[in-house]
Amino acid sequence: MTFRSKLFLNFIIALLLAVGLVAAGVTMVTRRVFDELKREHTDAMVAQFQREFERRGQDVAHRVKAIAEEEATTRMAVDLSRPNADVSVYVHDAHGVSGSHQLDFLDFVGNDGAIISSQEYPARFGYKLTWVTQPDDWAARGAFLMKVETDQGPALGLMAVSAVRVGDRDLYVVGGERLGEAFLKSLVLPADMRALLYLNLDPEFQEPNLIDEKGPAPDGDRFQALVEKIEADPVEQTEKISWGFDPSNAEVFHALPLVGRQKELLGVLFVGSSQRTVVSLERRIRWLALGVAAVGLLLGLLLSWWGAARVTRPVQKLSAAAREVSQGNWNARVDVRGNDEIGQLAKSFNQMTTQLVEQRERLVQIERVAAWRELARRLAHELKNPLFPLQTTVENLQRAREQNSAQFDEVFRESTGIMLGEIDNLKAIVSRFSDFAKMPQPELAPVNLNEIIRNVVKLFEAQFNAVGRPPITPELHLEENLPIIQADATLLHRAVENLILNAMDAMPAGGVLMLRTQTHEGGVSLEVSDTGTGLTPEESERIFTPYYTSKQHGSGLGLAIVQAIVADHRGRISVESESGVGTSFHVELPARPPHKPHVFPIVFEKKADEA
Amino acid sequence: MLRRLAATSVCLTVLFAALPARTARRPQYGGTLRLDMGADLASLDPAVATTASEESAAKIQIDSLIYEGRNPDGSFNGAPGSGPFKILSWEPGKRATLQANENYNQGRPFVDSIAITMARSVRDRLLDLELNKADLAEIPAQDARQSAERGVRISQSPPDELLALVFLDDRPAASDGRAREIIGQSISLAIDRSAITTFLLQKVGEPAGALLPQWSSGTSFLFSTSADVPRAKELWSQITPSRNIVLGYDSADALEQSVAERIVVNAKEAGISLKAVADATNKSTNVDARLMRAPMISPNPATALNGILQTLDPLGRGGFSAKPLRESSSAQEIYGRERAVVDAFRIVPLVWIPRVYGLSARVRNWAAPAPGQTWPLADVWLDTDGKSSDLKDQ
Repeated sequence: MTFRSKLFLNFIIALLLAVGLVAAGVTMVTRRVFDELKREHTDAMVAQFQREFERRGQDVAHRVKAIAEEEATTRMAVDLSRPNADVSVYVHDAHGVSGSHQLDFLDFVGNDGAIISSQEYPARFGYKLTWVTQPDDWAARGAFLMKVETDQGPALGLMAVSAVRVGDRDLYVVGGERLGEAFLKSLVLPADMRALLYLNLDPEFQEPNLIDEKGPAPDGDRFQALVEKIEADPVEQTEKISWGFDPSNAEVFHALPLVGRQKELLGVLFVGSSQRTVVSLERRIRWLALGVAAVGLLLGLLLSWWGAARVTRPVQKLSAAAREVSQGNWNARVDVRGNDEIGQLAKSFNQMTTQLVEQRERLVQIERVAAWRELARRLAHELKNPLFPLQTTVENLQRAREQNSAQFDEVFRESTGIMLGEIDNLKAIVSRFSDFAKMPQPELAPVNLNEIIRNVVKLFEAQFNAVGRPPITPELHLEENLPIIQADATLLHRAVENLILNAMDAMPAGGVLMLRTQTHEGGVSLEVSDTGTGLTPEESERIFTPYYTSKQHGSGLGLAIVQAIVADHRGRISVESESGVGTSFHVELPARPPHKPHVFPIVFEKKADEA
Repeated sequence: MLRRLAATSVCLTVLFAALPARTARRPQYGGTLRLDMGADLASLDPAVATTASEESAAKIQIDSLIYEGRNPDGSFNGAPGSGPFKILSWEPGKRATLQANENYNQGRPFVDSIAITMARSVRDRLLDLELNKADLAEIPAQDARQSAERGVRISQSPPDELLALVFLDDRPAASDGRAREIIGQSISLAIDRSAITTFLLQKVGEPAGALLPQWSSGTSFLFSTSADVPRAKELWSQITPSRNIVLGYDSADALEQSVAERIVVNAKEAGISLKAVADATNKSTNVDARLMRAPMISPNPATALNGILQTLDPLGRGGFSAKPLRESSSAQEIYGRERAVVDAFRIVPLVWIPRVYGLSARVRNWAAPAPGQTWPLADVWLDTDGKSSDLKDQ
């Protein structure tokens, strides 16, 4: 992954985190605000219900009081206050009176608590409502909730009691309104709210007792837990009920316990607030936030890309320049402006390459001088050997001529023969130097390195076991299925030959010559090891230098030629040596040499003990 | 106070009306007697059967006016028109006009004609009487007191119709004889008959513990009519597993409905699980017991008891109507039969109800018919000039 990609990725991650945090914060705050608004809305509805409840209670109490104050009721009270009064004539009165006063429940109750007439339970005449006769200031109490027995079963009523006293006897008027569907229908609620009423008229939760304005509410069983919770602790509670997987179908119910005179739980009013609007608004805000976030992200992406490009462009230039330097172009320069860290780095890089070029030129000069010196030394050494016999022979000829010896002709003949031989030597020396100077460019063709090695070793078999010198044992570790590479077989043959010759020279006392081939990074590698005397570190550093040799006889061109051949194949050669143990040459050749020439550095490796 | 006075006057009215309405003045001939009927009679043809009991009773009443006499088997003899009246006009199910038969062998009736209006509801009949648009109409017993308060003359027969709770034979509640007996006894003990008579019948009628009224058998007082709720609870607790009793009633009968609702309240007080359901056809198979009315068909107690048992236990599964009493049966035999039936608790007597008639002020010489007898309209005359002394006369 490039530096720009990494930088861009970091920008994106930072941007995403920021956008995510902002979105989460906005969502949380929005939800909290909506919840607060909804709660205030529900509280308002509950307050409205309580006001409505209170108003209805006052209305019921007023109507009951009006019945008690009617002339007919007074006459009834007077009549019933007499001894042996006939109550049967009033048995149907409650029905008519309740109708005229629009009361759902109405009972006329005698002084002893016996029902004289009942609207909601006509057949219950004669039975006693003992609670009515208990001491209580009914006028001050006003309306209250009560479980009312009717001929259709128990019901919940908002009741009031008014007493008509004649003498020492009371006639009680007990009347009220049913809290049911009609009551719920009369509540004015916003469109996204509804009211449910649970009539707690049975010992255990009964689903049909949960009603809405149309009758039994559907899925009433979902309220059982909440009702039971309120039964255990009759205080206002709020609970959210989900009606499906879609959160917009959820409703938040505010449960208001309805208690009777004895604080017994008679009902629970549920004011339900649909989450549809809230969820819809939340979704809208979320989508808006997502849209803004998407635009922001896109903008951020572009800016990040631009920023990353701006930041990494000098680094890329530095990287490209460094790559060029690594490929040998030490004249690479970085054009970066500014005085920031990157600018300073670029300047430092430019200074470094400048210094490198200067140092390289100095080194080249030094190397060139050293090479010329070495060449001069070698030439002097090589030329001195034939020149000395030539000088001696010429001096012998001069001396023989001056002495006029009868043996002059014989001396002359021997001397000219020696002189010709030495001249041949001089020509041979010149020929070797000429050959090195004329190293040909490789002609690539499919080559099997193993085959070349076997051929070369076969050529040297006689010398390995030559009479008069200690034997050398060749060991071949050639990898089967070694890949065919594109190379010049003749040059490789010559390189292997030189490496084997070098190894043989290093083992005057005999030893083991090991040749190993392996697949290496798609190409091949060759290792040539001997068990000879080894090289010193200084020798190892200079062993590939032309005309350098550690031997008494030798041109110093063998390994230089090997290095030149490997380099021409875009390969790599290294030497590893330990004094007294042996030397190993490692050659790596690519499957197909790249067209672009480049410089492969020579690597000098040291064994552990050398370090 | 006014109500009390009105109630007292009603009692007096009822008392006087129970006696034959006789007058000191000479009877007057002429006039049209306006008669309201609840029945919807389509035809008087004997071949056309009537299903409703009200229609059947109305047909008998009209037949008794146009035929010469009645045979012991209940059929009428003679030809139509041989009786005190002849049919002048007939609109099926709406109205009919009967004209006095000048040649009636027992003498011409006092009124010239009788204008019968059929299919009049109770409310309409009461309104017609109050507005003086009718001279005679049968009204429900429970409305007698209120009608009297509104100025309607009331004529009341002795209590001659039994309202009883009858367990049906083919229901689980009756399948186990002992259990059914306990159920019947507990329900019987739970019912407050006095309250039914006082409140629902407005003191018109009698609590019934026996199958015959006191005035007929003279032994009715030997049967208890009082409620005993603790005993009812104790008996009901013996029913295991507990049962839900369904009581059917005729939804068209307001008295039956209110009595059934009161029985439910009484039963609930005693812990008995009982539910009342409307059963207009009286044929529902989902009820364990049913409220039924059984009129006395004869003043003779033995004959009346036979008839009542035949009505309440038509198949004789209780074994009561299988051996009818002789007409000449002794009071002890009648009592024994009553006791056996009542103690079996298959039939639970509730109340005795009289027949109540509303009369206009000009009707004279009217007497509520005895059980098994028809309306004495041939003897009734209309006083067209002595309205002010109507009550005094009666």
